[in-house]
Amino acid sequence: MPQITRSLLFSLLLATLVGQQASARDVDFQRSIRPILSRSCFECHGPDSESRQAGLRLDVEPEHRAGTSRLLVAGAPEKSLLYQRLTESDPDDRMPPLDAHHPVSTREIELIRRWILEGARWERHWAFVPPERSPLPVVGNQNWPRDDLDRFILAGLEAEGLAPAPEADAARLLRRASLDLTGLPPTLDELEAHLADDAPEAWNRVVTRLLESPAYGERMATLWLDLARYADTHGYQSDVERPVWPWRDWVIEAFNDNMPYDEFLSWQLAGDLLPEPTRAQRLATAFNRLHRQTNEGGSVEEEFRVEYVADRVHTFGTAMLGLTTECARCHDHKFDPISHEAYYQLFAFFDDIDESGLYSHFTNATPTPSLQLADDAKQRRMAVLSARIKELESTGSTLRDRPGSSFEDWLATNPRLPLELPGRQGDYRFDDVEGSVIFNHADPERPGQLGAGVEIRSRQDGGSLHLDGDNSASFPGVGEFDRNQPFTISLLLRPEAITERAVIIHRSRAWTDAGSQGYQLLLENGHPSWSLIHFWPGNAISIRTDEPLPVGQWSRLTLVYDGSSHASGMTLHVDGEQAETTITRDNLTRSITGGGPGALTIGQRFRDRGFKDGGVDELLVLDRALSTLEVRQIHDETALNHARTTAPGSLAETHRLREDPEHLAHLSELQEARRALAKELDSTPEIMTMTALPEPRTSRILERGRYDMPGRAVEPDTPEEIMVFPAGERRDRLGLARWTTDARNPLTARVAVNRLWEIAFGRGLVLTSEDFGSQGSVPSHPELLDQLALDLIESGWDIKAMLERIIGSATYRQDSTTTENTRRIDPGNALLSRGPANRLTAEMIRDQALSASGLLVDTIGGPSVHPYQPPGLWQEKSGRTYPQGSGETLHRRSLYTFWKRTSPPPMMMIFDAANRDVCVARRGATNTPLQALVLLNDPQFVEASRVLAERCLVHGGETPEEQVTFAFKSLTSREPTNGERRLLTDLFTEELSGFEPDEARALIEIGDTPTRDALDPIHLAAMTVVCSTILNSDAAVMRR
Amino acid sequence: MMRPPDDLDVTRRHFLSRLSMGVGAMALGSLASAGRSVFPGSIDQLPHFAPRARRVIYLFQSGGPSQLDLFDYKPLLEKRNGEELPDSVRKGQRLTGMSGNQSSLPLAGAQFKWKRHGESGAWVSELLPHTAEIVDKLCFVRSMHTEAINHDPAITFFQTGSQIAGRPSMGSWISYGLGSENSNLPAYIVLVTKDKGGQPLYSRLWGSGFIDSRHQGVQLRAGRDPVLYLTNPEGVSPERRRRMLDRLRSLDAEQYLRENDPEIDARIAQYEMAYRMQMSVPDVSDLSDEPDEVFDLYGEEARTPGTYAANCLMARRLAERDVRFIQLYHQGWDQHGSLPASIRVQARETDQASAALVRDLERRGMLEDTLVVWGGEFGRTNYSQGALTANDYGRDHHPRCFTMWMAGGGVRPGTTYGATDDYGYNITENPVHVHDLNATMLHLLGIDHERLTHQHQGRDFRLTDVHGRVIGDLLA
Repeated sequence: MPQITRSLLFSLLLATLVGQQASARDVDFQRSIRPILSRSCFECHGPDSESRQAGLRLDVEPEHRAGTSRLLVAGAPEKSLLYQRLTESDPDDRMPPLDAHHPVSTREIELIRRWILEGARWERHWAFVPPERSPLPVVGNQNWPRDDLDRFILAGLEAEGLAPAPEADAARLLRRASLDLTGLPPTLDELEAHLADDAPEAWNRVVTRLLESPAYGERMATLWLDLARYADTHGYQSDVERPVWPWRDWVIEAFNDNMPYDEFLSWQLAGDLLPEPTRAQRLATAFNRLHRQTNEGGSVEEEFRVEYVADRVHTFGTAMLGLTTECARCHDHKFDPISHEAYYQLFAFFDDIDESGLYSHFTNATPTPSLQLADDAKQRRMAVLSARIKELESTGSTLRDRPGSSFEDWLATNPRLPLELPGRQGDYRFDDVEGSVIFNHADPERPGQLGAGVEIRSRQDGGSLHLDGDNSASFPGVGEFDRNQPFTISLLLRPEAITERAVIIHRSRAWTDAGSQGYQLLLENGHPSWSLIHFWPGNAISIRTDEPLPVGQWSRLTLVYDGSSHASGMTLHVDGEQAETTITRDNLTRSITGGGPGALTIGQRFRDRGFKDGGVDELLVLDRALSTLEVRQIHDETALNHARTTAPGSLAETHRLREDPEHLAHLSELQEARRALAKELDSTPEIMTMTALPEPRTSRILERGRYDMPGRAVEPDTPEEIMVFPAGERRDRLGLARWTTDARNPLTARVAVNRLWEIAFGRGLVLTSEDFGSQGSVPSHPELLDQLALDLIESGWDIKAMLERIIGSATYRQDSTTTENTRRIDPGNALLSRGPANRLTAEMIRDQALSASGLLVDTIGGPSVHPYQPPGLWQEKSGRTYPQGSGETLHRRSLYTFWKRTSPPPMMMIFDAANRDVCVARRGATNTPLQALVLLNDPQFVEASRVLAERCLVHGGETPEEQVTFAFKSLTSREPTNGERRLLTDLFTEELSGFEPDEARALIEIGDTPTRDALDPIHLAAMTVVCSTILNSDAAVMRR
Repeated sequence: MMRPPDDLDVTRRHFLSRLSMGVGAMALGSLASAGRSVFPGSIDQLPHFAPRARRVIYLFQSGGPSQLDLFDYKPLLEKRNGEELPDSVRKGQRLTGMSGNQSSLPLAGAQFKWKRHGESGAWVSELLPHTAEIVDKLCFVRSMHTEAINHDPAITFFQTGSQIAGRPSMGSWISYGLGSENSNLPAYIVLVTKDKGGQPLYSRLWGSGFIDSRHQGVQLRAGRDPVLYLTNPEGVSPERRRRMLDRLRSLDAEQYLRENDPEIDARIAQYEMAYRMQMSVPDVSDLSDEPDEVFDLYGEEARTPGTYAANCLMARRLAERDVRFIQLYHQGWDQHGSLPASIRVQARETDQASAALVRDLERRGMLEDTLVVWGGEFGRTNYSQGALTANDYGRDHHPRCFTMWMAGGGVRPGTTYGATDDYGYNITENPVHVHDLNATMLHLLGIDHERLTHQHQGRDFRLTDVHGRVIGDLLA
């Protein structure tokens, strides 16, 4: 076509289009202009201050409308710089530049011209303006609306010259609402009951029944799990299992109880910060910990910790505010008003727990902070034990205050005290090392082992260890203490230099990158630091000396622990004198043994930094806590007898700890009680949750988002463009929760009702339910969205009430059948010119098959289960075996299917489930050959077809016609047409004559569910094929 | 009770007569617009320019092969074996926690014999004799570098252009952009060496992220079901399946008359394509029609399904059928300790078949439009992780330089690009970032990497994020 003709044609077309619109209404800035500016201009003239060109900003109202800058001259496009630059004939000056990827079309330029002509009225981005009520639209058809919301829809339809579709028939509506609200199709009984109910309120009865059904909570939870990126494994690399299903069960319960949505969000964001939080409130905060976590060897802990906090921010943004924040992690957001600084202000809210960037490699310790999930009986038992321990501890302190009753007698019978201290397990002097064997003076049966590369050097009257940082000496069989055992360890050591970190002595498998469990003495910048650890940093006790150890000389270090699991029960002594220390961690609630073999070791640890050029001598290990004098005695062997002579009263502590029967009996009782409590605790399920640090961490802006480039410190804050953080509000997650659920927050309620709308219609009023920002789609019915958002808030955030309205509306009840006309004018059904027609979700597809066949086990909650999965999928990726379940666990609802992030259930992924690595707000709904293969061949669908076939043959009636009708109704919730019935009956007859007995038996034996013996195999096989055919048909795969 | 709408009988007969004309006639509907392929692409205007390669075979060596023992010859390391890595070379750059706390970082020379090969004179160690024979067909990049230092982020970065999960993999981008040229097979197929073990793999590496799930990689596996759920259930013969599908089609046709929804038409087409896949996949995965000389070329192991050699041969068969993106994974290159012994095993498993694939493609005239890429997620350190002894050493992860090779598909053969310092620690010339490699690969496929985008959460995402440049010197 010649150039001229084509452009002429285009102009004509344009004129027609524009003309049509002009006659209807003025150009809508929000709908038509802002999206153009956002897409084509904001990258260089938007919120990002770094990339902003010519100081020009188009995301906020330009400051100078006329006068100095002629950017926009109302009514005069030709005088407006914006229009001039868009239409500039010199390509070098024209905007956007040629190499930009988002040109502005001729049609769009014309829109901008008209908008300027009409006055260039500017508005803030719609989603950041608080919702407002508009008058109810005037509609022509007064009879159709059932709810105010219908008026908004009808007005839109009437404006386009469309009428609503007729109401769908009762069966179709029942199927639609049952799937939308419970994720399950109606049972045949429910179907019949509803069809028989002629009362005007029949529909309301159905909606109420569905909302009260426990399956409602499961359906709603399934949607929230995508947003919460819920999974049963950690996600990175080795992808180890983590039991977080108690949180999932809490979500189901919250929906079933119709917890107000603002509370639902607040508990998850900040349940731990509520006054005297309940267990459920703390459990809800697991939401923030469901991001992926790694334990890959050698990872930099801080790199991943930062990643986790960032994930919390992104999830909060998308799930609660419908806002993308990711961009602002490295630089100012290009489209939305979230600056680089604002991002880290949000980050600061979530950067408030004592956590590690790595979970344990060698143990199954729950990453901290965590919540104990004992059942009631266990809780009661533990409460009794705790009270008993408290009581004994207080008796203990009374005993400490006075000399034991046998003290005087003991003094009398001990005019001199022996030099050797009782309770020694290990006494290594390194003077008598033979080969690699280190003699143990306390127990010759348990010698130490000298590692290759460790030297024995002479020191004064004998040998000492000299360490190179990579090798070690180990002392098997001694020091195997758990946290309830009092003990003492003493050694001489000599550092040659101050280093950031040096492992002196430890009993553990490996260092923190692997989740060290045990006890350890480190030198941190020269300061002795002593810890007992279940999981670092949140489940440990740790103290550190205030003064560093002298360099280049020998010091005697003695560690004493009283078995209390409190940091106050740990003391550090240098050269016999108790050192001033600071408590760095004080929360030890679980065992410190575990993670594989780990003998007491000196000088080095797997992948940790060893004691390079360090000297060690005279190691003593005792299975009791020493007295102050005994500690001194190690350093100065005259100490005890000197005290005996000069101040015998000072020996009371020593007597008590060693021999006072009263004390020893008390101690053994206390230890017994502690052991009993520990046993309970160690077997208590535990879940990761949020527990705010007592002292907030200082969060910093990370340059380019990099963990190792911290910049300026920031305070927790929220983007003011959305809503200013109320003055005086606490700046923590609880304050953030209040800000989020504040009635003035323009996003939260809109995002929430939009999602509820999406449940019913398959698309939200804002199509991009994940993005309400500048680049997201504008609402199809903005006034309606506002109305519903305000209604939701005013109802006390009542989700069920809102769903009841939507499902009860005339809009929802429309038939989904399309006509040429509706398809042409409203192709995507944005105007709701008809009812919704959507493919079943992955979960619905499977649950429907289970439900229709009667296989479904409707137990709610509990650990995730392992239904059928093709063999080898875990094996080929990570060498683990999929522990396929049996019996009932094969037939639970799909939201209970174990979700392994690196190898999710393939059937679910083929049907567009979210992979749960990150927060996902909206799934696709594709139509692919792989889906056909699943429904045709996956054993769980073949089994369901066969079990349904059995029901048909047994309960479905006498004739094949009746039986196929039964099957059809079970899967599609409607009566087949005569044609359909004939087709299926013919298929049955055809199959009946085609099956060999062997083939038939092979088919009907698929799946673990036993076959009903009474049925003829060939009959059953033929009916199985029929059921499978229906299960694959559009009527079963869709909700229309 | 509802009345079946039998008044539509006339229309139905009309529709069914269309159906009776077979699948071809069905294509009149939505199929025609969807293209003739199983997994149609969704982008107009692609390719952006004439492609040099029509397909890619990506031989991913998972774990991080040691460039210093295979391709990047460093006599200085042999000379200074056991001496400390000088701080002037390391320049304070980060190490992993696995060797970062070692009190000593002793340089470790390769314990293998080295020779220059071919006319191009490329260095290849004795570990890879077959690769050594084809160096004149290869383009070595010695100056690859990446940002991640741990496996998961590094391999995710390589395959999706981001260390963060949730992005589409390279094959998905290409399937999305270019679609398929085969009507019976997916555009993007993944082959994993069976029972290999080593660092785990994750299905997100071939996932489609936020792009339509049609573009996720389809795994072709050794065993009864080469594609998941491909095989009919026991007792269901192909004839029975055909009968059933015919009835299903009629059932859906009925539904179409009620609903008037083109999606139903599309669903009918998907079932037909599934049926065709049931024929074509076993056909491609059955190697029994390959003559003995092919197994001489690839090695006897190629007879064992699921081996790397069998997968290389399978890759050639898939390429012959115009599968767009064929992704292999071979685990086991993560040699932190006992490197000399275990790298021999890895080399033996992969060397002959990798070279055979290149030769085989060439003799079939397919190398010129098939891009073959060989490499892993990072390289390995020039110092020993753990103790260095007379005949043993290990190497830790090293993201700062490593070697990959490419062949065919418009890359310049017989060349070596980029260089590293004498210590094999830092790049000295022509660095090639992961994004650069990906940009170059897309370029060879006729795609401008800055223009293959997908909007998600308001932003245009691309495989190369906001980075990447096409390395012109790598192009023939």
